[in-house]
Amino acid sequence: MDPASSGIQEPFDLIRLSLSERVFVKLRGDRELTGVLHAYDGHMNLILSDVEETIMIVEQVEGAPESQNTVNVAKRKMDMLFVRGDGVILVSPPSRT
Amino acid sequence: MLIFSVFKTLTDQKVTVELKNDLSITGVLKSVDQFLNIRLDKIEVFDEARHPHMMAVKNCFIRGSVVRYVQLPAEHVDTQLLEDATRREAAAQNKR
Amino acid sequence: MATLQGYVDHRVLLILQDGRAIVGVMAGYDQKSNVVLSDSKERVYSVEEGVEEIPLGLYLVKGDQIVLIGELDEALDQSVDLSTIRAEPIPPIHY
Repeated sequence: MDPASSGIQEPFDLIRLSLSERVFVKLRGDRELTGVLHAYDGHMNLILSDVEETIMIVEQVEGAPESQNTVNVAKRKMDMLFVRGDGVILVSPPSRT
Repeated sequence: MLIFSVFKTLTDQKVTVELKNDLSITGVLKSVDQFLNIRLDKIEVFDEARHPHMMAVKNCFIRGSVVRYVQLPAEHVDTQLLEDATRREAAAQNKR
Repeated sequence: MATLQGYVDHRVLLILQDGRAIVGVMAGYDQKSNVVLSDSKERVYSVEEGVEEIPLGLYLVKGDQIVLIGELDEALDQSVDLSTIRAEPIPPIHY
């Protein structure tokens, strides 16, 4: 068997081994997803099911220092989602703890 | 190519396209091309009261590059088939 | 790219990356989705006053500036009194 098809030789192998598992995806625009990974391609376009999206909305207080910004979190669920790869920052495999 | 094929199998299904300008448009998927540009029919814009700009638009072409998400009809997506096709495409890529 | 077929000679609405909305008759397009509009007007939306239409005439829009092209139902579009519409402009593209 071709060693490249079993172990992890390159970054995309890590994603391949996460197929049909729940993954964590960090996106541009302060968004995060968790969902079950069913497909991806070389652009990191993804198809996930049973998705929960978390959006961090940072509210700046006028005149106050940045450390006093409040962060509001909005969550929503989606059954089956295509995610365009250009917004993807990272894909993390399920934790095995 | 894989994702393009998936969208082709979803032709005539209802999808919701969320754009990078936060507009959400639901409609019937009429066609898709290699750039993942999308043609939607019978469109409805989410929160139309706030977004009256597209009131008189009944079908549209969306540029693939401005898409953030597309919500797909789960009952028309065969996840096992997708995973197999993804593994096959990854294996073909590795051989190069 | 078969997906712009059918819009030529039809009245369309273009939404651009910077949030502008332009209506016009699609005179032509190419495979990079560059679009030529004739008899075009920008529609400027605001919450303070009605929609202002600024004539632009014959207009070429580069494909990479385009977010969306919608076919206008002309009867429906003409039935709307733009001076009564109050709305925020469409947000520009960000991630």
